[in-house]
Amino acid sequence: GSLGAHPPSPLSLPPTVTSEQIEHLHRRFKQLSRDQLTIRKENFDSIPDLEFNPIRGKIIHAFFDKRRNLRQESDGLADEINFEDFLTIMSYFRPIEMNMDEEQLDRFRKEKLKFLFHMYDSDHDGKITLQEYRNVVEELLSGNPHLEKESVRSIADGAMMEAASICVGQMGPDQVYEGITFEDFLKMWQGIDIETKMHVRFLNMETIAHCY
Amino acid sequence: GERCGAMQPPAASPGPAAPEGAELLRWQWQEVQGPCLVAGWILVASLAKIVFHLSRKVTSIVPESCLLILLGLGLGGIVLAVAKKAEYQLEPNMFFLFLLPPIVLDSGYFMPSRLFFDNIGAILTYAVVGTLWNSFTTGAALWGLHRAGLMADPGVEAGLMDFLLFGSLISAVDPVAVLAVFEEVHVNETLFIIVFGESLLNDAVTVVLYKVFNSFVELGPAHIHAMDYVKGVASFFLVSLGGTAVGLLFAFLLALITRFTKRVRIIEPLFVFLLAYVAYLAAEMVSLSSILAVTFCGICCKKYVEANISQKSRTTVKYTMKTLASSSETIIFMFLGISAVDTSKWAWDTALVLGTLFFILLFRAVGVVLQTCMLNRFRLIPLDRIDQVVMSYGGLRGAVAFALVILLDRAKVKAKDYFVATTIVVVFFTVIVQGLTIKPLVTWLKVKRSDHHKPTLNEELHEHAFDHILAAVEDIVGHHGYHYWRDKWEQFDKKYLSQLLMRKSAYRLRDEIWDVYYKLNIRDAISFVDQGGHVLSAAKLALPSMPSRTSMSESSVTNLLRESGSGACLDLQVIDTVRSRRDKEDAAMHHVLRGSLYKPRRRYKASYSRHFISPDKQERQDKEIFRQNMKRRLETFKSTKHNVCSSKSKARLKEKGRKKAIPLPSQKNISLTSDAPNGKTHRNIPWQEAAPVLVMVSSEEEESDSSETEKEDDEGIVFIARATSEVLQGKTTHVLIVPSSASAGSLDVCPSPCIIPPSPTLAEKELPWKGDQADLAVYVSSETTKIVPVDMQKAWNQSISSLESIASPPGIESGPQHRRFACPVLEEQPQSASQAMPEQSSCFQFPSHVSKSGRSQSDSSPDGVEQQELQPLMATEEQGRMLPTTEPRWLMFNRASHL
Repeated sequence: GSLGAHPPSPLSLPPTVTSEQIEHLHRRFKQLSRDQLTIRKENFDSIPDLEFNPIRGKIIHAFFDKRRNLRQESDGLADEINFEDFLTIMSYFRPIEMNMDEEQLDRFRKEKLKFLFHMYDSDHDGKITLQEYRNVVEELLSGNPHLEKESVRSIADGAMMEAASICVGQMGPDQVYEGITFEDFLKMWQGIDIETKMHVRFLNMETIAHCY
Repeated sequence: GERCGAMQPPAASPGPAAPEGAELLRWQWQEVQGPCLVAGWILVASLAKIVFHLSRKVTSIVPESCLLILLGLGLGGIVLAVAKKAEYQLEPNMFFLFLLPPIVLDSGYFMPSRLFFDNIGAILTYAVVGTLWNSFTTGAALWGLHRAGLMADPGVEAGLMDFLLFGSLISAVDPVAVLAVFEEVHVNETLFIIVFGESLLNDAVTVVLYKVFNSFVELGPAHIHAMDYVKGVASFFLVSLGGTAVGLLFAFLLALITRFTKRVRIIEPLFVFLLAYVAYLAAEMVSLSSILAVTFCGICCKKYVEANISQKSRTTVKYTMKTLASSSETIIFMFLGISAVDTSKWAWDTALVLGTLFFILLFRAVGVVLQTCMLNRFRLIPLDRIDQVVMSYGGLRGAVAFALVILLDRAKVKAKDYFVATTIVVVFFTVIVQGLTIKPLVTWLKVKRSDHHKPTLNEELHEHAFDHILAAVEDIVGHHGYHYWRDKWEQFDKKYLSQLLMRKSAYRLRDEIWDVYYKLNIRDAISFVDQGGHVLSAAKLALPSMPSRTSMSESSVTNLLRESGSGACLDLQVIDTVRSRRDKEDAAMHHVLRGSLYKPRRRYKASYSRHFISPDKQERQDKEIFRQNMKRRLETFKSTKHNVCSSKSKARLKEKGRKKAIPLPSQKNISLTSDAPNGKTHRNIPWQEAAPVLVMVSSEEEESDSSETEKEDDEGIVFIARATSEVLQGKTTHVLIVPSSASAGSLDVCPSPCIIPPSPTLAEKELPWKGDQADLAVYVSSETTKIVPVDMQKAWNQSISSLESIASPPGIESGPQHRRFACPVLEEQPQSASQAMPEQSSCFQFPSHVSKSGRSQSDSSPDGVEQQELQPLMATEEQGRMLPTTEPRWLMFNRASHL
């Protein structure tokens, strides 16, 4: 199933986000945008800490992904995002809440995973193909100059094969594994409690002393 | 005693001369008594362990620690009955100097450090605040109980300080006991790390409190000044931070030392143990927290040490550490039981015992709830009620408390005997009762369990990506949180620390993802071999019968060829006569072995060296495992993908083969054992004159097969030997060998469509005309048929056409380009695949890089070993030959004979 088939569920900011947090985020937003109403890609380049992040490109990209992450009608990449969009992206990183029931938890989990999935699936076809996977792995490991490209690729290939074996199991005679679909992606993440990991503190802590 | 006496060997040493003349033997029990007793007890404890584990049922219900304590009680009773006095007690000195360090080192070294540091906040809170809280409340409550006159026994002479002292030693959760129980109860990792981390770190608090209160008690309440309290607080920080610092220092030293042990691999494990132990002793010496020292030494050195030391040393360290820790633990629990029998140390006071039990349970629970309440305000993943229950209930006390209470000075602490009795009861209660019930409790509460699965490559990749994403988001929102600092630390580590502490070679390859990949590969390979072994044993292989074994030792084709001395020596009848059952079996055996075992090792040389273990075998094996494994993985992926095409091509090829080839009677496996050196053979045979000969050998199985129950691989081989000498300056010979093997059948047992990759037998590889191995461009691309049938067809057609027109062989087969045939397969696969199935252009393929690597491989000199290791996917020449097939294998030998 392609992801485009499912209309994105409306995402509301969790109640735990206090106005103070939003204020903080807004301050940060303004700082990044240099007091403009929108942030452009170039604005992210001004963040010094981001410089060493090997998958910087993919992450920044995710901020501008219109349909999938920003839940807009149109496809493609946005040139600039406003504060609301910024918050929307941030809300993917909100922590789990105590009083969530199973269903909510499941949706919560899927939302987060979808965000990740989109990061891998760069051509928006609902599948992480080998090439896409390789790109990600290459970027991931680009921090290690000693790992050769070949071995990096073989890692990606190995991972892909592993994914195929996890998701499809025994392959039929004429079967070809074309790529990781979102369903497969969910399967692969089964062992990891992503909902307990993919979060950043800012949405739960109002006092952020270090902010500039 | 008797047992040890029996073990005593007849005295070999002369010893001092006895007065009444020369003795034959002398009883020297006194001299060996100490070590012998130690050995004896360890033996008893270990044997007991075996006995416990005989019954799975018992150990699944009762934790081992309980059983050991009970055993200790029993043994203690026996000793008491025999010796009339209690012997063999748990001595605090022995405990702290010898028994505790291995356990702590083990838990530190094998601590999942990422998890530990992820939860360090919670762990520290519980360890510090929790222990302080427990000590003070328990002590104060007991004192209140005493003041209220509830402790009936007048012997309990204790003031507030005494009770606080007792509270401090009784309140610490014991790492040994916790580990012993929680290892068997698989709670989720967060819960485990919190309870376990707490039990390790609270030692610092316990020891400090114990020392402070002990000194207060010794001073007497009248002489304590305000300054002493301040000192107490200061010493707490000093002891714990100092202990940690000592641990870090030694971790650094240890890592640095192992960087330079390349030539003395054999003592690598020793350094690990030695330095950790020295860290323990050093911390103990300056009365810093030795447990913290060893814990942090273990946690911090691991990454670098593991990278530096050899694989064998790693295994050694692991096993030795586990053995030591496990035997220490066993002895501790057993001696706890034995010590409890000694009633001379006991003084019972019901109110004290019950009060203590009640208070430690109560205050632990209250403490956990309060702290969790506080922590949950900061934690992003709150600890829920169930976690809190398990944490409260998991507060087991153990040998640390017992050793500390034994250390008390009776002259100063009047109520020592009461405290000892109470401690023993508390330890027994927590270990036995709580230990027994915690498992059912965990099940009943439906605590989130951890599923123990090995990390998959994908998980590792995703988590890695994940860390970066989180760090990036923190960067973007400008919040310097946990991920930010972790990211910074990792950068620092990569830039400086790892460079400094890791061997260059290790540092280069050091990458978590790579590690997982590597381990995964090896694991797969091993399991694959295991399966292969089963397949092998599945009676697919009839062992050669004796007569046939002797039948054809010297009638190798080489000889025949030499004798005949002409290019036309490929007299098929001759070869036919040469064929025997034994050959076939040899070939079959070879293929199976080749596929399921790794490269035949050189025989173990009967050499002894204390200092060296043959170094490079491991590496070679790893490399092989890599290659074979990747091959297999590729296979599982693609084995069936092109079946249709390849079978088509096979059919066509056969047709052509029939036309062109001289069909041999079936069962012509060309398995030739060339005894003579190849070069010689080559010289003897004037290949340049050779007339084109096409031999097709197809096995019966192959012809009639189509069923999945094919027999062991059998090669039909088509020889297309031809001389193009006239054309290409009389230098080139093309030989197309097409053995059709049906090996897949034997592997149907395997879960995956993996196939034992058969390789050509020695004979096949070293066919007579394959003279100088180094120069020969002999390429076997059996893969072609399987994966790129189209390509194969092309190749086939080319060779056919070249056959047909001797005068003008296609350029593609000439000269330098032969080399590329090594992996035409992989090289052209994408194209051919898309040709065949254009709609699948986006499907999972292994495009060009493999071919590149393959090509580079085929050209690479043998020193590209490291490269090979790094390129497990690439098809080496050897692999190409080992490729398994369900189809006939087509081996192409192209040889440029300008030698």
